[in-house]
Amino acid sequence: MENLVLVPVFLPLVTAIFLFTQRNLIKESIVNIFTLSSSVISFLITSFIFITFTIEKFESYSVVLYQWTESPKIDFSFTLDGLSALMLLLVSGLSIFIQQFSTSYMSKDENYRKYFVYFNFFVFSMLVLVMSSNFLIMFLGWELVGLSSYLLISFWSSKTSASKAGNKAFILNRIGDFGFLVGLMFILNTFKSFDFQEVLHRANEIPVNTITVITLFLILGAFGKSAQFPLFSWLPDAMEGPTPASALIHAATMVTAGVFMLVRISPLLQYSETTSFVVLVIGLLTALISAFSAINQYDIKKVLAYSTISQLGFMFIAIGVGAYVAAVFHLLTHAFFKALLFLGAGAVIEALHHEQDIRNMGGLRKKMPLTAGMMGIGTLAISGIPPLAGFWSKDEILASIFSKGGIYLGFWALTLFAAVLTAFYMGRHWLLIFNSEPSKTIEDIHDAPRNMKVPLVVLGIFSIFIGFVNTPFFHGVEKLLHITLEEVEITHLPEGLTLVVLALISIGAGFAGLFLAYLIFSQNILQSKLFNNDGFKKLIKFIKEASFNVLYLNKIGNVIFVAGAKLFSKRVAVIIDSILIDGTVNLVANSFSKSAKITSSSQTGLVRNYVLYFGFFLIILVAVFIVTPLVGN
Amino acid sequence: MFEVTTDWYLSLAAVLFSIGFFGMMIRRNALIMFMCIELMLNAVNLTFIAASKHFGTIDGQVAVFFVLVVAAAEVVVGLAIIVSIFRKQSSASVDVLNLSRG
Repeated sequence: MENLVLVPVFLPLVTAIFLFTQRNLIKESIVNIFTLSSSVISFLITSFIFITFTIEKFESYSVVLYQWTESPKIDFSFTLDGLSALMLLLVSGLSIFIQQFSTSYMSKDENYRKYFVYFNFFVFSMLVLVMSSNFLIMFLGWELVGLSSYLLISFWSSKTSASKAGNKAFILNRIGDFGFLVGLMFILNTFKSFDFQEVLHRANEIPVNTITVITLFLILGAFGKSAQFPLFSWLPDAMEGPTPASALIHAATMVTAGVFMLVRISPLLQYSETTSFVVLVIGLLTALISAFSAINQYDIKKVLAYSTISQLGFMFIAIGVGAYVAAVFHLLTHAFFKALLFLGAGAVIEALHHEQDIRNMGGLRKKMPLTAGMMGIGTLAISGIPPLAGFWSKDEILASIFSKGGIYLGFWALTLFAAVLTAFYMGRHWLLIFNSEPSKTIEDIHDAPRNMKVPLVVLGIFSIFIGFVNTPFFHGVEKLLHITLEEVEITHLPEGLTLVVLALISIGAGFAGLFLAYLIFSQNILQSKLFNNDGFKKLIKFIKEASFNVLYLNKIGNVIFVAGAKLFSKRVAVIIDSILIDGTVNLVANSFSKSAKITSSSQTGLVRNYVLYFGFFLIILVAVFIVTPLVGN
Repeated sequence: MFEVTTDWYLSLAAVLFSIGFFGMMIRRNALIMFMCIELMLNAVNLTFIAASKHFGTIDGQVAVFFVLVVAAAEVVVGLAIIVSIFRKQSSASVDVLNLSRG
């Protein structure tokens, strides 16, 4: 019965291997049957597991596949607890709809089968990551996710930009993975174990400084995988992949892994104030920078990519202030509305024959009413308009920061500003695509086909209602996680009137952002006489350019890391390499050949000379015998 | 009359060994050098037997048998080499054979 957990984890792998081996399987409909039925089966089993898990009062259990080593004890095993159950349900549920969307979006692609191989492999990797019961298996899943995201991002590998984007994602993730790996070594050294249960339960026995060092390395891994500052620039580039794959990366798999990992290690994290503070500051920086960058992007997918980074920043802020439940809750709601937005963007791109520049769009509301409506729901949800999903989770994060008081009030204000920016750029996104006048007429636009419509509608419904699983009136997610986070002190929401006022403020922030977007991009307020002076125009131009260039961070990074590294390695090449290393090697080689020349002159090849040497040493031997008194005499 | 003591035997062995040794150094003919080696071997044999007689043990005489057997085998191989040297250069001088010079 408990072994049933293995089915949803390994079924995607089986499907991937099966599709991989069927080289002659050309017909798309047959591929669809295999991949969709396998994901529906695994979703049904997951739902069954989840329901039994709920009935059994969220008692967690483990399934050991095999024991690897005895000491330190490392098992290849999977655990079902509140956190992994939620992720399991989320990943396998979303993957159905994204796959269904893909069957239409990827149709007629020459590598149709390969796409679904990668897709299923990706789902498998993520499930290994979330179901793991120790750090090593988690790292295995972590690396598999990195690999499969690389495969999907550079899926159209004949495009140079796609393969470069894949490389960038992989290399930047590698920096994070290095941190994770070092963290793992510290964990093994400190706890003599990798098991979550053992490590996390013994966290209070360990000095705080050790925990700080361990967690600082681990969060570096999370920063890489979840695209946080300064390792975030791979995610916008990852838009080179197929759009449904982006939806998968952004919603259910990959980028949520960092948040998941931090919640998983929250028993460690809570003891280290330093690490929590670093997470908070980095999260805030990321949320602000990427929200700012999103306001003047022109690629339909890049806006969404920066928006994802920004929302992940919100989750990191929540973790930084100890609101782990709020972070998981935002992960959950974000997964639905971000999947919805990406699939909507995919439908638009498909309808416009792979046009991605939003300046060339506009007025699509009439031609694609359903997509426009669903994207509208997604936009409202991410902006935090009640009662849609994003409101509940974002408000919970904001309220948690506020309840910490003191200096955190400043952080609260900045987070609120990021929320205003979120509503603003999402409003701009929707208005430019669906509302304003098209600058270029594209013929033959039709609304999404049925296989795209169904996922959009389902995700739209979820984006409206999923927020109700964890409201101030019904703490669903908190109940689900209470055993996982048993020993963790969670920052709770303020009570009563404060909560209501905070909710009103965050609603106000959402509306303010949307209204500003409406004024600027629908009413064209910036062209009116009110703002017709040079200083203001310059300011707008400056903001636009800074936003488009992501605050010039890529260029700064280029100067520091690329040019700096080149300069440094040139110096190193001259000093260390040619003088120190080559010098040492040459010295050894030369000394050997010179000494060999000296000694080899004694080898004359004449027998009588050898006899002479022989006699010479014989005399020495005899002399030694005569001089030395015999042993034991 | 003189009594023939162990010293006499050892002195004779030393003289024989020295003759063989100097012969090795001075002569160039492979055959003569070969004979010098035999002379040195037998000088050692004489030492062994004298010591054996002196101490009244059998060990030295056993060693002599081994030396004789090895010397016989060595003569077979050595003479074969010398014959092939003769065939190659029609002289038995070893100075020509300095191919192993470093």
